[in-house]
Amino acid sequence: MELDFLYNGLVILDGAMGTVLQQRGLPPGGKPELLNFTNPGLLRSIYREYIEAGSQILCANTFGANALKLAGTGYTVDQVVSAAVAVAKEAAAGTDMKVSLDLGPLGELLEPLGTLSFERAYGYFKEVAVAGEKAGADLVSIETMTDLYEAKAALLAVKENTSLPVLVTMSFEQSGRTFTGCTIPSMARTLEGLGADAVGLNCSLGPDLLAPLLKELCENTRLPVIAKPNAGLPDPATGKYGMGPEEFVSALLPCLEAGVTIFGGCCGTSPDYIRALSKALEGKMPAPRTYRSTGFVCSAMTPCFLGEVRVIGERVNPTGKKRLQQALLEQDLDYVLDLAVQQEDAGADILDVNVGHPGVDEAVLLPQAVKKIQSTVALPLQLDSTNPAALEAALRVYNGKAAVNSVNGKRAVLDRILPIVKKYGASVVGLCLDENGIPQTAEGRVAIARRILDAALGYGIPAEDVWIDCLTLTVSAQQEQAAETLKAVRMVREELGLQVVLGVSNISFGLPNRAAVTRSFLTQALSAGLTLPILNPNQREIMDAVAAFRALSGEDAGCRDYIARFANAAPAQTAPAANPALTLEDAIARGLEGDAGRLAREALQNQDELSLVEQRLIPALDKVGADYEAGRAFLPQLLSAAQAAQAVFEAVKSSIAEKGGAPVKKGKFVIATVKGDIHDIGKNIVRTVIENYGYDAVDLGRDVPPEAVLDAVKAQDIKLVGLSALMTTTLPAMEDTIRLLHTLEHPPVIWVGGAVVTPDFAAQMGADYYARDARQSAEIARKVLGS
Amino acid sequence: MELNLSEALRYLGAPGEPDPALLAQLSAMSDKLTRSVTPRYIWRVFPLSFRGEGPTLEGAGLTLPGGMAARMLEECSQAVLLACTLGAGFEALLRAEQARNMARAAMLDACGSVWAEAGCDQAEGKISARFPELYRTDRFSPGYGDLPLALQKDICALLDASRRLGVQVTDSFLLNPSKTVTAVIGLSERPQPARIRGCGFCNLRENCQYRKGGKTCGA
Repeated sequence: MELDFLYNGLVILDGAMGTVLQQRGLPPGGKPELLNFTNPGLLRSIYREYIEAGSQILCANTFGANALKLAGTGYTVDQVVSAAVAVAKEAAAGTDMKVSLDLGPLGELLEPLGTLSFERAYGYFKEVAVAGEKAGADLVSIETMTDLYEAKAALLAVKENTSLPVLVTMSFEQSGRTFTGCTIPSMARTLEGLGADAVGLNCSLGPDLLAPLLKELCENTRLPVIAKPNAGLPDPATGKYGMGPEEFVSALLPCLEAGVTIFGGCCGTSPDYIRALSKALEGKMPAPRTYRSTGFVCSAMTPCFLGEVRVIGERVNPTGKKRLQQALLEQDLDYVLDLAVQQEDAGADILDVNVGHPGVDEAVLLPQAVKKIQSTVALPLQLDSTNPAALEAALRVYNGKAAVNSVNGKRAVLDRILPIVKKYGASVVGLCLDENGIPQTAEGRVAIARRILDAALGYGIPAEDVWIDCLTLTVSAQQEQAAETLKAVRMVREELGLQVVLGVSNISFGLPNRAAVTRSFLTQALSAGLTLPILNPNQREIMDAVAAFRALSGEDAGCRDYIARFANAAPAQTAPAANPALTLEDAIARGLEGDAGRLAREALQNQDELSLVEQRLIPALDKVGADYEAGRAFLPQLLSAAQAAQAVFEAVKSSIAEKGGAPVKKGKFVIATVKGDIHDIGKNIVRTVIENYGYDAVDLGRDVPPEAVLDAVKAQDIKLVGLSALMTTTLPAMEDTIRLLHTLEHPPVIWVGGAVVTPDFAAQMGADYYARDARQSAEIARKVLGS
Repeated sequence: MELNLSEALRYLGAPGEPDPALLAQLSAMSDKLTRSVTPRYIWRVFPLSFRGEGPTLEGAGLTLPGGMAARMLEECSQAVLLACTLGAGFEALLRAEQARNMARAAMLDACGSVWAEAGCDQAEGKISARFPELYRTDRFSPGYGDLPLALQKDICALLDASRRLGVQVTDSFLLNPSKTVTAVIGLSERPQPARIRGCGFCNLRENCQYRKGGKTCGA
């Protein structure tokens, strides 16, 4: 395809289609895609106007031509796409115009905000992309995306199923973020890594307000950059956009200076705007670009530029952690999420995620863990596995630019892992070891680092994405190696200019007062050039050392972070020692999570786990429950007590896991928000309260089809099911679920609740119980499952 | 813009003189929310006509069915469609809080409902400033009285709420992100009485602890 012109010189796209159609009589809210059948002549005439105005690429009228948006129109994706591409090609006949397939958002929100899975989104985009290539589109434009995850699904679908070039533009607010919180660097570097041919911004704002964002975009990508702004903002009283063609173009010219080379218009623009643009760009040359070449990883919401110290949290790794091993075997991803949340709160910048353990299928669990953590934690992740299938599955569903931990100098390993790293645009950690083990000299390790770098470059992975782990050896076993490691750190940083990783805690293994040794080694390594220490951020004194280093090195300008860190800590130091008179029961009733956990651990010194739960925890919860029912306590207090109870349970579980005993199992229940309902905080509240009586939740989430509830009940022999519905429109789904469960020979006991459910509805639907709130739900669970 | 804490307490089912510890926690959640999330809104004005089944938005081809819309808009020449949302940012905050502390999450949820209404109030201020000579009716939403929930789809399509606010309507007419409000406001040359009062027009009508207990909050 002769699309070299995208990369050389200036390119002019077309302007709006939707708002032009509205000006010519399409009612707002109508489906423009149907015009491909009902009025192709109108579309052709608009295209011809764009061609005459100077457009070089026409977007086919396929913005909403996906199966979700076409549902109920009577047309298939294939029909709409082939008609739309044909209309554009007819208009372009006899010219050298290119026709682009246009891919807009699917119109349903992806997880975690909505319930559309990444895999289903990919499938919808694939269908459109394949139809587009078949219909003869020359390239693909992915447009108006506000969710980086959706843009990634679309981009992968195009790249994996067609051979067409692909341009990706997203819509940003003036704040520099999209509606879902994506930042410009996250967008630019993620999409470039995934192989987009050009990236840019379209819609949402006029060229004046987009200009600073486009400048930032140009600094964060090596790709050609696209600008397709709106004609200003619409007037709410009239719906008309504020900028005329001349004003639009003069506000767009600064974007040329910033480095934009591909120009077009979005909502409110018309052939007049493109004509004015063509005239203004005549004889102009692309401006020089300055790319900020830097190590980088990100989630959609959190860009992480490397070079200064960035802490990688090491806690999600089952090596030597029995409680985590047990959680992984039980696929308890809530526990994994807890570990991630704690590290985020402790100040980690990146989280290492390792779920490898005998009996765990990493290729299944690693992507699930990534989704679970990313649903709540905004930090970038480092995916830690040697299993290529697990890495590929996890990189695929990762939202942003991840790191892969790790490869080493073995050729077979490099050839297995690096193509996956390249395909998903990740960064990669290279360990300084090979077939011959770990070199005993710094020079030997640097030689391996060099080999890893060369291999990465050979696969098209830029040097900035290669991180080298110089390897920390235990000082008590190989004392002279500490100095070699530090020397290797310095050499990799100075000679190769790469990011350096070290798992620092390993240094002190087998020694007393490990923290002192670890902290001292960490400080020396940071001075030698370590940028990415892997450590336990929950160890306050270690993070203090990082904070101190950043103050001394000048990274922490004005020592602001350092001062803030200890300003916040000061009250804790002067606070009186824990109240000796506080009982476990008081701590639970008052919702004092930390005290409850501590008192439980103390109590477990001379009381067994089960009796602690039965004789102390549950009576304490009962007292709070009774206060709640009597109106002496309110929902927040009930939940605070539940939170404290959770800390007690965590102490109990850890104690049992350490002893290698069987976990306390008081019975399982299924809980779900029914199909069609997507808001689930009510269900989550109920779950939290019941779990704190020691029952295990099988939480199926929200928007759960009846069949999924049935499957879970059958698969796990469940005796109790709770269903929640929020809207009158979803009550029928609740009824369907109950009906389906009643087809079982021994149906479970079913209780229902939620906003619109009443005792009468519950009885009519055949539910066994109605619960007004979380407290009543817990009483039902105790009645059915026994205490 | 301020977040009304006593309203949030009412949403939590804890009216009246609150426990100081509870109030302090709620106030902290409110600060966290208002610092990090700003309600965003869009609105658009349509001329009204009264042929046929009910008040019709001219140029949009949308008729508002039922007795309530007819009564609310009977003296109006124009109607404003409004959508206001706390967006995905609130949802992320709520997920993060649920993973840490469910009690604080419940408080944040209540604050979010109040904050979205505060956004609507601010939007009404803008509308009023734009049409100083006109009087506004109370704002009313799909699901109030006999105004069908199914109108969410039409209102969001007319406002282009998906593209301009990131709001989607599900097949069961839920708005996503969750803290999103759509509303209709009539504009009239004549002063408009307050018509909206009582449980039928309350945002909590479907999940109210007082109603479930057969009482009202008295607000």
